[in-house]
Amino acid sequence: MPIAARLIVVGLLLSVPATAQQKKFRTPWGDPDLQGSWSNATTTPLQRPAKYAGKEFLTPQERAEQDKETAIGTDKRSPRGSAEDVDAAYNNFWWERGWSDGRTSLIYDPPDGRIPALTPEARKRQASRNEALRTDGPYDGPEDLDLYTRCIIRAPLPRVPTGYDNNYEIVQTPKFVAIVQEQMHETRIIPLDGRPHLDQSVPQWLGDSRGHWEGDTLVVETTNFSERATFQGATKSLRLVERWTRVADDHIDYRFTVSDPATWTKPWSAAITWNKTGMLFEYACHEDNFGLYGILAGARAQERKTR
Amino acid sequence: MGKLVVAILLFATVSAAGQTPAPAYKAPRLAGTVNPDLSGLWQALNEANWDVQAHAAQAGPPEFGALFAQPAGPGIVEGNEIPYQPLALAQKKDNFEKRFVRTNSDGVRLEPLDPEAKCYLPGVPRATYMPFPFQIIQGNKKIVIAYEFASATRIIPLEKVEPALNESYMGWSAGRWEGDTLVVDVTGFNDKTWFDRAGNFHSDALHVIERYTPAGRDVLRYEATIEDPKVFTRPWKISFPLYRRLDKNAQFMEFKCVPFAEELVYGHLRKQK
Repeated sequence: MPIAARLIVVGLLLSVPATAQQKKFRTPWGDPDLQGSWSNATTTPLQRPAKYAGKEFLTPQERAEQDKETAIGTDKRSPRGSAEDVDAAYNNFWWERGWSDGRTSLIYDPPDGRIPALTPEARKRQASRNEALRTDGPYDGPEDLDLYTRCIIRAPLPRVPTGYDNNYEIVQTPKFVAIVQEQMHETRIIPLDGRPHLDQSVPQWLGDSRGHWEGDTLVVETTNFSERATFQGATKSLRLVERWTRVADDHIDYRFTVSDPATWTKPWSAAITWNKTGMLFEYACHEDNFGLYGILAGARAQERKTR
Repeated sequence: MGKLVVAILLFATVSAAGQTPAPAYKAPRLAGTVNPDLSGLWQALNEANWDVQAHAAQAGPPEFGALFAQPAGPGIVEGNEIPYQPLALAQKKDNFEKRFVRTNSDGVRLEPLDPEAKCYLPGVPRATYMPFPFQIIQGNKKIVIAYEFASATRIIPLEKVEPALNESYMGWSAGRWEGDTLVVDVTGFNDKTWFDRAGNFHSDALHVIERYTPAGRDVLRYEATIEDPKVFTRPWKISFPLYRRLDKNAQFMEFKCVPFAEELVYGHLRKQK
């Protein structure tokens, strides 16, 4: 284990004797037990902000300060009757941002906490994507909107925390691990029997996962990504390796490593704590997607007005 | 005590109580637990998704020839009768007529009614007999059932759960073991799912009690009792076997159908060229 990663482990566990803790968490058939409802919400950003360059951990004071900002920032209310009070006026009741985990970035490798440089090829792809996003719309049809607005997937794997609804349920059998993602009510079913991946001609929105136990850690490799849903602008050849380790009754140490030579000059890794949370609910999205309906109906109404 | 003796005693006890006789088959246990292991990739092999009642073959859209014609089926409803209240029966017929084509009073085309066509979460028990596999992942505290269609998922706690807090498409499930049968009590439904393409429907008062019983290494017997005092005059029952997918490379695959349904749902809002 690289020194940087070892430091992170120490930081996350707060020097709890890991091995003794982990032995407690066993299924009746003897596997490490990851089962339960979990949330990976945190305000710690994926990448380290410039102001924390060279600094891996917040001081206790900085951390308290950041949590205070989160509490205030999400609980404000715009003046009653104003447009802002109606449009996306979500306060703390709606958000589920979580709190700082004490680090300055989720990325721990490379040690600067930043996504490595893009390859020249990836820079070109990024530029054309940015060009396409420069203007609002078009809103000619549903495929002009992003995958989340269309209720197809929340985000590609690996899942990085967002403003709300960061909930997962893990259920295990001796042969499979199921990870239910509250958004979009789908289940990642991960075989543990060493079977080969699906034929590479078959893309899936959430790829094709295979897992195995390495000591107390569930290690999952995912391939067969769709080129329509790739993580951070990677290609469908993205290689994703995720690791889950139960380190306490109420949290799992989760980390991922992504590599894609067509996108980044080197692989990179992030660590995100999964904290115990309450029961998951159904996130039906497409079934009452008034947002998308309204966007398209609004665009047509605008066209009629300007015609 | 020999297994045979246990089986005979069990049979005797259950018969004496006037219940269905216990199945002769004794399923392997989930390791470290006393419960049968229902995990696996399962699928119904019947025509109930077209119509849960007995029905003859029907033509599909003529431009596609035989491709989308409806297969005939003997039905899965006990006694074949769905005990609709009179108004509800009229509603079922209206659903069927407007399943694909629906217009408002000015003749403007609206989205069709059929929830499966729109890729809505399919509801319970329908998810069980759609022509797609589903996977049971049986842990020792909770069971997940993941359905390929629309990525529908149910989480079934085996411990005491709070009553449903909200209505939903797939309902709020509470599981328990009755011998080797997994009994799932499902409440908290909305009124937006159908039982089939024939327009058979329910209200938000739907209450489903499902029973999954191992009947052989690769077969589960599935039964569901359906109650809905707003729509039916009495509870009614469906039953059919579920078969394990034995294909060497069988695997749960993704069927995220939202993109397939967008033209149907939003087509009328598309920019006219």
